[in-house]
Amino acid sequence: MLDLTRGQFVKHVIMHPFEGYEDLRWKKAGSMPIAIVVVCLLFVQQIAYSRLYGFQYYSDYDKMFNIVPYIFKSFILFGTWVVANWAMCTLFDGEGSMKNIFINSAYALIPYIAAYLIGTVMSHFLIRDEYVFIQAVEIIGTCWSFVLLISGIKAVHQFTFFKTIMLMLLTIVAMIAMLFLLVLLLTLFQQVLIFILSIYTEISYRFRV
Amino acid sequence: MSGLKKLISFISAAAVTVSALAVNTSALETYDPYSYDRWGDAVASQAGYTAEKYVDGEMIGCGNFYEPADLFISHDDLMYIADRGNNRIVIVDLDFNFIREMNEFDYNGETLTLKGPTGVYVDQYTGNIYICDTENARVIKCDADGKVDRLFEKPVSELYDTDVTYNPSKVLVDKAGNVYVVVKSVTKGAVMFNKEGEFLGFYGANRVEQTAEVLANAFWNLISTEEQRTRSAKQTPIGFTNFDIDDDGFIFTVTDSQDTRTDLVKKLNPRGDNILDSLGAADMTFGDTSPAYYSIYSKNSSLNDIDLGPNGELNILDFEHGRVFQYDKECWLLFIMGGKGYQLGLFQSPAAVESHDNHIYVLDSRKNNITIFTRTVFGEIVTEAANLYNDGLYEESLEPWQNVLKYDGNYRRAYIGIGNALYNKYQYKEAMDYFEISISRDRYNRAFEGYRDIWLKANYMKCIIVIIVLAVLIVIYRKLRKKGKLIYPWEKNRKAGV
Repeated sequence: MLDLTRGQFVKHVIMHPFEGYEDLRWKKAGSMPIAIVVVCLLFVQQIAYSRLYGFQYYSDYDKMFNIVPYIFKSFILFGTWVVANWAMCTLFDGEGSMKNIFINSAYALIPYIAAYLIGTVMSHFLIRDEYVFIQAVEIIGTCWSFVLLISGIKAVHQFTFFKTIMLMLLTIVAMIAMLFLLVLLLTLFQQVLIFILSIYTEISYRFRV
Repeated sequence: MSGLKKLISFISAAAVTVSALAVNTSALETYDPYSYDRWGDAVASQAGYTAEKYVDGEMIGCGNFYEPADLFISHDDLMYIADRGNNRIVIVDLDFNFIREMNEFDYNGETLTLKGPTGVYVDQYTGNIYICDTENARVIKCDADGKVDRLFEKPVSELYDTDVTYNPSKVLVDKAGNVYVVVKSVTKGAVMFNKEGEFLGFYGANRVEQTAEVLANAFWNLISTEEQRTRSAKQTPIGFTNFDIDDDGFIFTVTDSQDTRTDLVKKLNPRGDNILDSLGAADMTFGDTSPAYYSIYSKNSSLNDIDLGPNGELNILDFEHGRVFQYDKECWLLFIMGGKGYQLGLFQSPAAVESHDNHIYVLDSRKNNITIFTRTVFGEIVTEAANLYNDGLYEESLEPWQNVLKYDGNYRRAYIGIGNALYNKYQYKEAMDYFEISISRDRYNRAFEGYRDIWLKANYMKCIIVIIVLAVLIVIYRKLRKKGKLIYPWEKNRKAGV
């Protein structure tokens, strides 16, 4: 049973939210390249959602395009999730390695990404009165992803359901703390940089005179 | 980023220059004419009005004005100037020939003089003149010969607090002869008298803006005692500054405030309700939006006069930036003119705006003169197009709007106008293009609906066939995969049935 390729396992996991991840774990069939592609697709989906959506629904301020928010919403948020989850699971005796957390979380995102991409395509064919169809697709995709995420985290650490929920809540807290520290760090580095630059300016003036 | 911005502004400047070369443009203004795009960013535009000349007291032949405060053009085409510093009302015709001045009034044998008049109004039904004699704390109602009929003095009423001063600054009269007086120290709205001079109450108060402070105070009021409540500061709205009345009896008010954005411009029905509110005034902005690139001031507008034009246009005077904003009757911005400065067309301390025919008159109380703006060719075309559009004649307005675009490719309203005309002609695809340029999503949605309906009706059979073919193909594919007859090269170990 279940001698699937790594690619086929992706489909198996998504279609079997409750035992798919266990199978994936036993077969050790998680693929890092596929997971990375999924995270890149998340980035693409974020941009498509704000730039390629049907004009009748939504149009962004199009005089400038800033890519930083999209990088944040995809790569940075996902990265913090993985690191925070790994850091928290060590406190709870979870079994997951960072790699497996990354793979399981990325697989869980697939329905979400697909639903929003489908919604973006649909928005070019539907008028505003029919927005409810797009909304339905997007909500189903999000819920599906959420179930997958719980199941994935549960499988990777071999936790009970309630412990998984606790871990996920704590992960979010840890994410906030990490992001806060990140901002703090960036600000500090900026200050140091400004300090070094001003010293350089002072010295260069000294030598010129 | 700034490189991109520069590029964009260069392209738009080039576009404006090209369009300016293509058609005759008006004389160069002393300010940069601009308009606002969909995002509230200032974009270069053509001048809808040009400052033609100015007129001061010497030129009229009545001696220089001194801090004039109000301007009014009556139904019989006479202009009344409230010359505050000289305590008189100067009356000229529209060619600025001196007719007469009023400074002494006969009140049952007693002679009254003015002291600092700041407002004047002429009732178009009876011809009576109403003057706000501010420092004497009264409003004088007299006939054209200066014979006083009645004085409207500080009301004696429970409603009017005795320690509130009565300093009437502007006045107007409705069809029924009710007199509305803006009193600076009253924030509850205009003081309202009936024909007989009886005090009726207050009319059309502004609302208090919902700020964090107001909400916090409302919270503290819930838990504080009666005594604490009486001691704390009260939240009062800002009283409106000036008003005008249209032929249907609606009163338009403006509020001179830089701190609040609530109720800056209102259209009041006889009950005192703001009907612009129900027309979606929440989306309407009047005056400069805060980051106006063409302004050296980064302050908000302070609107201190409003005037209704012949087609229901609103001319709103901005004291802070010295600009007149003209809106059509649907509150769409038409033109912006003026600025701060000493040259013709710029103002130091603009006090009043009036319009007649295709002229706009602005009274400056520091330059002590009246500037006359005249509508340009561009202005004429836009006004014609906007009037046709507002009357619902979308198809007739198509050609004027296309002319507008020849002058000014930045004029957003023209794209909407053309789009609507095309929509009414069932040219949905073209309408969609215009609505997309003008970033008007509601209208785009409607045009898209029409376009899709037509497309579906034309391609109904094709759609059905495509769907059936796709469904058959999918079924065949799945069958083949299940039987293991279709195997991709990278699936060496694949077995059937998975």
